[in-house]
Amino acid sequence: MPVLRMRDARFFARGAPVGPVTVDVAAGERVARAFPSARDAAITALMACGIVRAGAGSVLVEEYDPRVQGAHCKRVAGFVPHSPLAIDESEFERYVAYRAALWDVDPMRAIAHAKLLLERLDGVHEAFAYPIVGALIASPKLLVLDRPQSAYAGAILAAAGPRAVFSTHVNDDAAAAFAPARDDRTVVLQ
Amino acid sequence: MTGRAFTAIVTARLSAERRTVLYAAATAAVAGLALPREPVAPVFFSCAAAIVAALLQSPGRQAILDLCEESAPLFGRELARAKALAPCIVAAIATLAYCAPSIALRAPHALETVAIAMIAAPACALVALSASVREGAPRALYVALACTVAAGAYAIATAGASLSGELAFCALVAFVALRQYGEALARFDPV
Repeated sequence: MPVLRMRDARFFARGAPVGPVTVDVAAGERVARAFPSARDAAITALMACGIVRAGAGSVLVEEYDPRVQGAHCKRVAGFVPHSPLAIDESEFERYVAYRAALWDVDPMRAIAHAKLLLERLDGVHEAFAYPIVGALIASPKLLVLDRPQSAYAGAILAAAGPRAVFSTHVNDDAAAAFAPARDDRTVVLQ
Repeated sequence: MTGRAFTAIVTARLSAERRTVLYAAATAAVAGLALPREPVAPVFFSCAAAIVAALLQSPGRQAILDLCEESAPLFGRELARAKALAPCIVAAIATLAYCAPSIALRAPHALETVAIAMIAAPACALVALSASVREGAPRALYVALACTVAAGAYAIATAGASLSGELAFCALVAFVALRQYGEALARFDPV
């Protein structure tokens, strides 16, 4: 069973409609997709992890439907936003502890895990590394990245480890950086 | 939802608005030095503080907290309970700060005034929370509804001379408002 399955998923509210988006992401697979606009990419990423519900079509995160099982979807999928996180180093442990509390992860274990992940993200600016660490401390099966920085693709994929990764982009080159072995899966949706 | 997650959300929300809480308490304490003889001023001040504290929970003001809460595996009703406690605590602090001079100087009816305000403020906060996830006319409507609740609670407590009546009214309003807020959060799309 794919860890993410989107079938003609569309979003209608507020502004121009988004989609239809059809994508399958199997366990351990890395799928990157380019979209015509930043808004499309952001909303598709939000739909892929159950934060935003599709207005038409279907989205399944493992066997869970975000429209009725949003909390279950969010346990499976970790979301990394496009915007950098405006916190400094002194607040990092507090941020990790806060996320650990929300995901019911042991705080000491989460902080140790976060430090290990930060080492793997060596070279990535803290403002971009912290949200990735925050998403990974709950050990999600699927990591969803909204327009990640292509310059950090190697480090981000290394930190993600063997879990499935779905990333959205606004150009083919950035998408290719996140799915180098599966260029055939990188398409521009019209 | 674990107790740790509940505490973390309440603490983080209060911490994020700590300056606002401090300014509200300081302003309330100064205003309270006027030693109001009628309960109308403390009650409506507390309810106004509660409504403002609720509106401060609107999405976008605390982007990091919003993102964490929206992406966390929590049900809308669970998140609603945790987020609702923060403005109630702010309102309670402002009420106590406002009434502290009256209590300290043993002004007549000071404790009754505190009781009326402390019962009305959380109900107003919970109704106003539904405004925080809406825009335009629905937002204004929920704020107006919260003001109406304040007026209703005050009328029951003073004109009706029934503190228990006010408590029953506010408990009913708070229960319905919290459920409504939970439903709104469950359906909320942060786009």
